[in-house]
Amino acid sequence: MRLRWVLHFLLPFLAVFLQSTVFGFYSIGGSLPDMVLVFVVFFSVINGAASGTAYGFLCGLLEDLYLGRFIGLNAISKALTGFLVGKLQGSFFRENILIGILAVAFGTLANALILLVLSRLAFTSFHFNLQFYIGIIYQFIYNVILAAPLYGWYYRSSRVGLLRLSGGKTK
Amino acid sequence: MFKNKVFWLGIIILLITFLLIRVTSSERENITLVEKMLRDAYAPLQSSVTEMRDYFSGPRSIFNQKAELNKKINRLEDEVARLDLENQILREQAAELKRLRALVNFMDNNLDKYNLSAARIIARSPNNWLETVIIDKGASDGIKKNMPVITPRGLVGRIGSVSEHTAQVNLITDREIAIGATLQRSRSTSGIVEGMLESNLLKMINIPYYASVEPNDVVVTSGLSRVFPPGIDIGVVHQVTEEPNGLLLSATVVPTVNFDKLEEVLVIIDYIPADDELVQEGTMTGEE
Repeated sequence: MRLRWVLHFLLPFLAVFLQSTVFGFYSIGGSLPDMVLVFVVFFSVINGAASGTAYGFLCGLLEDLYLGRFIGLNAISKALTGFLVGKLQGSFFRENILIGILAVAFGTLANALILLVLSRLAFTSFHFNLQFYIGIIYQFIYNVILAAPLYGWYYRSSRVGLLRLSGGKTK
Repeated sequence: MFKNKVFWLGIIILLITFLLIRVTSSERENITLVEKMLRDAYAPLQSSVTEMRDYFSGPRSIFNQKAELNKKINRLEDEVARLDLENQILREQAAELKRLRALVNFMDNNLDKYNLSAARIIARSPNNWLETVIIDKGASDGIKKNMPVITPRGLVGRIGSVSEHTAQVNLITDREIAIGATLQRSRSTSGIVEGMLESNLLKMINIPYYASVEPNDVVVTSGLSRVFPPGIDIGVVHQVTEEPNGLLLSATVVPTVNFDKLEEVLVIIDYIPADDELVQEGTMTGEE
C-alpha cells in the first residue's frame, strides 16, 4: 500500500522532470503541457474530491518548490482543480476514456482560471498578458493530446495494477 | 465534528499558503534547504537527458540533414571569414583604445577583463509563466546569486538562485527582470529593458521623447542596473512607439540571443560594479 502511494508521487516528480527537459524540445507554440495537472485530474476522477484535493495540493507544492517562486500558487490551484474535478466526476463512468479527456480539458481551463484569480488575490507582481492567454490555449491542446493515451493506462493501473490504492474505492 | 475540523484545517492551510505565496513572490536572498535538495536531486537526471540529446542529435543530423548541414557549413565559413576581418579591425581598435585609456587613466570596462565560467543548460522552466533555465554549475563551482549570464552573442540573464550543483538563471525575457540599457550608437539615450513573457521580444521603456531611437539600433547594457556590466549586447530595436503621455517613447527589441536554442552560457563570476570597485580598492588601500 505504501509503495503504491510512493508510485503516485513518483508520477508528478517524473512529470516535472519531463516538462523541464524533454517537453522543452517539443513545445507547441512555445507552450509546455502541464503533466502534473493531468495526473492530478486523473487521480481526482478515480479517487474522488477529498483525496484529489490533498493530492493536488502536494503535487502543486512539489512543482512550486522546484520553481522556487510564488510557492503555494500551484499547490492551491491544483488542490481546487482536484476538488472540482472530483466533485463533477461522480455521475459519469470512469472507465470511459472520453471522461478522462473531458476531465483534463475542464481541469486545464479551471486551473488557469484559478491561477488568474489567485494572482489577483495574493500578489500583484505577476503579469498576465495576451501571451498568457495564448499559452493557455496551447496548453489545453497539449494536455488533451496527452490525456487520450495516458488515461487508459492510468485507469487500468488504478483498478488492477500498480496504482490501485484500495479494493473498494475504484469501480 | 470531524468535518468541522477538516474545514478549519483547510482554512488554516489556505491562509498559510497565501502567506507563503506573498513571501516568495519577490526574489529571496537564499532558497530553502528543501528546494536546494529537490533541484540537486533532479540535476543528474536532467544532465543525462541533455547528454543523450547531444549523443543522438549528432548522427541523426549527419545522416538526415546532410544537405542542410552543407549549406550551414558554407554559410558559417563565409561568416567566419567576415568575422576574422572584423576581428582584426576590432583588435586594432581595442589596442588603440587601451593606449588612449591608459593616457587618460580611464576605467577599463571591457568584457575581456572578467573571469567567465562556462555552463550547460540542463533544464528549462517546467511551466509557461516563468522564463528560467537551470545550469549545471552551482555554489560548489563558485556561482552566486545575481551573477550576470551571457553568451558570445549577448546578454542571457542573471543567476536567480543557487543550489550546491545547479543554479537557476532568470532570463531577460522574464517580466520580473529590468535592465538599465542604452543605445550603442548614442550612449546618451538610456532606458529600461524588460521582458514581455515572449521568448522573442523585449521592451525598452522610459526613453525620453527627444531621444533619437531608430529601428536596427543596437541596445546594450548601460551598467546602471549594477548587476550587469556595461556594453553587453541585449538586442536590436524593432519598432519605436510613443507612449500615451507623449513624454516617453518605448521600443520593442529583438534579443541578440536565441533563447529557444540556448544550450551553453557563460557566467561572469567576478563582476563588481564600478563604484563598488572603487570602494573596495579604497578599503584595500586603507583610503576613506
